[in-house]
Amino acid sequence: MLSSRIWQRTGWGFRRRCLCLYISLSSSPSEQNAPVWKFFSASSSSSAPAPFRRARALEDINFNVSYMNKCCFSTEAVADLPVGEMVDVPLAQTGEGIAECELLKWFVQEGDQVEEFQPLCEVQSDKATIEITSRYKGKVAHLLFVPGNIVKVGETLAKLIVNESSLPALIFRDSEHVQSPSSDNEKGKQGGVPSTPDDDKDGRVLKEDVLKYAVMKGIIKDQSVSLNAECGNQSQPVEGNNSDATSKFEWTFEDKTVPLRGFQRAMVKTMSLASKVPHFYYADEITCDALVELKTSFQNNNTSPDVKHTFLPLLIKSLSMALIKYPLMNSCFNEESLEVTLKGSHNIGIAMATPNGLVVPNIKNVQSLSILEITKELSRLQRLASDNKLNTEDICGGTITLSNIGAIGGKFGSPLLNLPEVSIIAIGRIQKVPQWADDGSVYPASLMTVNIGADHRVLDGATVARFCNEWKNLIENPELLLLHLR
Amino acid sequence: MALVGKAREAGIPLMKLIRLKGVPILEQLHLEERLLRTSSDNWCLINDGTNSPAIVMGLSGKLSELVEVRSVLQDQVPVIRRFSGGGTVIVDQGTIFVTLICNKEAVPDIQPFPPSIMSWSGQLYSEVFEGIGDFQLRENDYVFGDRKFGGNAQSIIKHRWVHHTSLLWDYEVKNMAYLKLPAKAPNYRLARGHNDFVCRMKEFLPRYEFVERTIKAIRSRFSLEPVADNIADIDVPSATHFAPSTRLLTDHDMREVCAASL
Repeated sequence: MLSSRIWQRTGWGFRRRCLCLYISLSSSPSEQNAPVWKFFSASSSSSAPAPFRRARALEDINFNVSYMNKCCFSTEAVADLPVGEMVDVPLAQTGEGIAECELLKWFVQEGDQVEEFQPLCEVQSDKATIEITSRYKGKVAHLLFVPGNIVKVGETLAKLIVNESSLPALIFRDSEHVQSPSSDNEKGKQGGVPSTPDDDKDGRVLKEDVLKYAVMKGIIKDQSVSLNAECGNQSQPVEGNNSDATSKFEWTFEDKTVPLRGFQRAMVKTMSLASKVPHFYYADEITCDALVELKTSFQNNNTSPDVKHTFLPLLIKSLSMALIKYPLMNSCFNEESLEVTLKGSHNIGIAMATPNGLVVPNIKNVQSLSILEITKELSRLQRLASDNKLNTEDICGGTITLSNIGAIGGKFGSPLLNLPEVSIIAIGRIQKVPQWADDGSVYPASLMTVNIGADHRVLDGATVARFCNEWKNLIENPELLLLHLR
Repeated sequence: MALVGKAREAGIPLMKLIRLKGVPILEQLHLEERLLRTSSDNWCLINDGTNSPAIVMGLSGKLSELVEVRSVLQDQVPVIRRFSGGGTVIVDQGTIFVTLICNKEAVPDIQPFPPSIMSWSGQLYSEVFEGIGDFQLRENDYVFGDRKFGGNAQSIIKHRWVHHTSLLWDYEVKNMAYLKLPAKAPNYRLARGHNDFVCRMKEFLPRYEFVERTIKAIRSRFSLEPVADNIADIDVPSATHFAPSTRLLTDHDMREVCAASL
């Protein structure tokens, strides 16, 4: 589990990358199902803002991996750099989630000297012809395919003998934030992440640099596994890309500049907007014994093999029931006209961490759905999210967001609003804790912490507190939902 | 120069706009390839219809699997293999072409990967079609609802990429008959034939309005500098050794394919 200490120390982008890796590595999804969120301890430093995703902003963001890799299709070579030795140049994931490409032509021949980032060959995927450039400076030793061949992603295209001068001495520095540099050529001026001293590289930070930093920090345990998980957009591991990076590299402590691109760049904008909204936070603990029992009952009486029962649909439905009584929690605020629109539909957004990043698809019209229907829809969205196949409709139109950070850990946090929504709810892991009974005896109870972030221009503490009490009551006494059964 | 200065100050990249009408698609593709590989500027090319019908295939793809070769040979429909990836289309006067050739730094917010570029283009076209029909980028196609009216293809090189689109403002049913149902079809197609799968943009908005809206949407992201209205006026850096890879398939090529499939 990633501790809160790490959030404070690392840059945002790097944090997110760790999160994605963790998710893809974790073998048994927590009780609280897929939705995951980043959380910070209440005492987190100001340099580590708790970011959140705007559902609307997701249209502007692309969820491709390898944001660190500025160079187009710079292929993923072995992270470790043995000088004078043969390295493999594999076909990197082109970001389309496809398994193979056709090799169209080579730009080099065996024996040619190549520069770093020089185009080696052209391949065709479904949609595009793409030039693959060399990760290193070296000499082409072998070309393993001929034009017309179909190459699987991860297969070695060519072998290169790496030149001595191209060894990027990886240097790191322990620092608090990642800052966006004003030009590509600036390096060594801002701190935060691994940097290379080599002028030719334009201060590029390559994926391996970041992952090595993570290993060094003890954040990621298994370097080769995480590299595999990272290399593909999908969950299937990329072949032939195992790295022995863990042991053999040195670093000195220097600044490294990481330009924020794509996903993070957009996040800078959305978070800046969200941070302008005056937030307040309300926290509570909910006893989940009845919830646990109910879920077990659903599971035991489950006749359909496709359906997997978890806590989340129950929480979602009871949230919707509470929203009926407190519609202000499910509204949108227009600051120009000073109007609050109480939304008729409960489109509850669920934060999900996928290999491609964070997405917040929403389940539409929860007020009209049964718990079983919610379960199926949630499952559908999770599948689409992990395949990076969510469409605009799935991620737009949310009216309130639920974030289940319990899958990763943490108890309390300060999530930022998903504008233009006015509230966001983060739920922690259900934990068994001792509780005092009235007679002075101790009994075990399942407790879940809840943290509601709200827009203080629209909501006040009393409204949020009452809303939370209502929701809590429905969770602790789920039989009350029967009162509303039609 | 002043324009460059102002655009740079504003932080928006410059883009040169070429507006063409009825230019043969082969010429257009040759120009695009030349601009991609030899120029370092950003370009937007709009060709409002091409002069005569032609079939345009992606860089790789088996002719016999994508096209009804015999009918095409019989009716003498030209078949072109273009330099970018993607599928097969048949284009004519009813097709509107929109091409964007960009330096990677010109659009730094996106990664130079096909899905990022496509998604970026999806947003651009969402602006173009705002309030008109149920536009979305679905899998890799531009659709109204579940009917496709435009596809796109790309070519990504070291520092630049091209994204070009052919949009069906109108089409002739008989022309669609030259294309086979491709083996690789998007999920949402659900085995529909061409006529149930595609739709015409003209049912949604007038032709000139589409072009104007597109230019407006591009203008919100780039500082557009119109440079030419016809191909002859375009001042392209003439790289001495540039030879386009887009080519017209000869009758001989086609007959070979026919013979092989017998």
